[in-house]
Amino acid sequence: MRPNHARHLPWLLYLAPALLVYTVFMAFPLIDSLRLSLFSGNNQATRIFVGLENFKRLFSDPEISTRYWGAFFNTWKFFLVHLVVQNGLGIFFAVLLTHETMKGRHIYQTIIFIPTTFAVLITGYLWKLMLNPVWAGDFLVSIGLPFLKHPYLGDTNTALWAVSLVSCWQWLGIPTMMFVAALRNINIELLEAARLEGAGNVKTFWYIKLPLIKPVVGIIAVLTFVNNFNAFDIVFAMENVNGAPEYSTDLIGTLFYRYGIAGQHPIGIPDAGLGAAIATITFLLLIALVIPTLRKTQRGA
Amino acid sequence: MKRLHVLLTMLLLLCVLLPISAQGAKADASDEVVITMGSWRTDDVEQMNRLLEAYKKLAPEVTIKFQPTNPPDYNATLRLQLDSGTGPDLMYARSYAAGQELYNAGYFADCTDIPGLKENFSPSNLAPWQMSDGTMFAVPFAAVSHAVYYNKDIFKKEDLSIPHNWEAFLLLCSTLEKKGYTPIANGLADEWDILETFFFGLLPNYIGGADMRVQYENGELPLNDKNFVEAYQAMADVARYCPDGFESVTYNDSQVLFNSQKAVMFVDGSWTAGVYKDASFDWGLFAIPAPKGKSTAICFHPDMAITMNKATKYPEEAKAFLAWLCTEEGATTASQNLPSGYFPMINFPIKLEDPHANEFLSLNAGKKTDARFVWPKLMNLYAPMNQAVIKVMKGDITAKQAADSVQALM
Repeated sequence: MRPNHARHLPWLLYLAPALLVYTVFMAFPLIDSLRLSLFSGNNQATRIFVGLENFKRLFSDPEISTRYWGAFFNTWKFFLVHLVVQNGLGIFFAVLLTHETMKGRHIYQTIIFIPTTFAVLITGYLWKLMLNPVWAGDFLVSIGLPFLKHPYLGDTNTALWAVSLVSCWQWLGIPTMMFVAALRNINIELLEAARLEGAGNVKTFWYIKLPLIKPVVGIIAVLTFVNNFNAFDIVFAMENVNGAPEYSTDLIGTLFYRYGIAGQHPIGIPDAGLGAAIATITFLLLIALVIPTLRKTQRGA
Repeated sequence: MKRLHVLLTMLLLLCVLLPISAQGAKADASDEVVITMGSWRTDDVEQMNRLLEAYKKLAPEVTIKFQPTNPPDYNATLRLQLDSGTGPDLMYARSYAAGQELYNAGYFADCTDIPGLKENFSPSNLAPWQMSDGTMFAVPFAAVSHAVYYNKDIFKKEDLSIPHNWEAFLLLCSTLEKKGYTPIANGLADEWDILETFFFGLLPNYIGGADMRVQYENGELPLNDKNFVEAYQAMADVARYCPDGFESVTYNDSQVLFNSQKAVMFVDGSWTAGVYKDASFDWGLFAIPAPKGKSTAICFHPDMAITMNKATKYPEEAKAFLAWLCTEEGATTASQNLPSGYFPMINFPIKLEDPHANEFLSLNAGKKTDARFVWPKLMNLYAPMNQAVIKVMKGDITAKQAADSVQALM
């Protein structure tokens, strides 16, 4: 046993710097923010332990709980749009791009990937102008599509969809790229064998390609889930931190910012404990859903 | 291994150098006092620097540095700075609850005994920065007003005149619409502007001045009485004259619409006056008109005050500056350097140079004025009232329902 331990020692030494940085800048703040959810007050000196009071307030205060559940379901909608549209289109484009008869693959790949390199604040702002009938209305009329003239971002029925789809458009490149990489790894003999057996494109996809890239599908689903439940920037850029109009684009991220960091306009008194409570619940939710997803999709990968 | 040595040496050097440079900065400062001033007015750096230069002539050993923060981030940034003990020595203070909260948290110094403060400001101008026991936590600095900006060129061309009651205002809007103009530039997307400039701007017309506001605050009058329903109804009536797709028109969009002459009128605050300084057309102002049978009142809102950090290292110097703002000379210098659209609150008769600023002030003549309705006591109704106004303008709810939804929270 002894020599074994001695062999591990140098390993630990190499791990130490990374572990230290990780602990100080990631693990400690994370655990500390969980701890913060049990306190009230913003200032070190006036902070008092209140137990689960913040969580109780979050779910029983009529105003706060209405906002929380509103943001909660909006975030699910936001996530499901990404899961279906962004990742669905990602697979679709990846299959097209890796198809052996595809020409000009690099050009299309670049076009799909370019938006991910732009700043969200800028793309969000540009889309905000394009979706605004005051600025884009005349153009839509001039190209014969006057029925598209609509205040998408000001209508509670369309605002969340518009914001979600713009976000999908922007981040489409990431899943596409990962699916392309996964599909290229599939052994060409398998595909040839399938074709010899008479399988068409659709059958090859469902029975050969999709099962083989399942681990990547799982990873991307998890990444989309984690990113979307922490989303804030796109709503900030296209609407405002209140999730206008009428809280219809309010996500957990914007709610957390309002309660925990900035405070409500115009007084702006943040409630760090309540914010931490929102963050803690999101954190637990992510863990509860990510671990089984990873277990299910990563088996044997 | 060699590379590691180089890296280590560099790190060590850096550690040694840092304190030296920090000390260097300190050594410079020991000759004169440098105090910082926090603010949310990023647009006013030039004017404030002129004001602070003028003060430096009086107190050559004191340098005040103006360090503004982006307006929406000001409250949060200031709190973070104050919490961590890196707050500015002097800072702008918000009126009413937002300011009182920071005084209660122990960050703002007690300004009650600053010479000239009690004598040179009227009680109503002191009130926004006063605790309930009479303690002052800041020196009043400037107020803002709200009115209708209108394009004089278009009014002249179409032979239109300023409306003197709300009914005439709606008629004017309908005339403009028939002639193919967008009558009003306001939109809903940013939410705060429709409430703060438009609804709070017209509310004194329906409920009266400060004396009436108090009756609503202490529950003598309900927030869904006839006056309030009429005020919400006015918002509903005016919605059709806002731009096509006004639901997604932001505050910036509204400014551009008015500035590019696409919209003829814009209900906005006085702080925007500077934006149209170089406008290619002639513009003027009129008070948001009251309905027939009521007298027009103005929303003249106490907005900025300056206070000092309780934990400042230079309390004497900071206090001296605040005291200077309470003198006639200081207030005059300050007012001359205020951006157009901000009005001094001190009792001395101060002449402003900007014609539009005087136009704004002249609207107050003979009229009752009051702060924005929810600011003094009912700040928790800000968001519900904002949503009620938006819904009523979209036609989702009636004026009565809007008023009821707010009263339900009293």
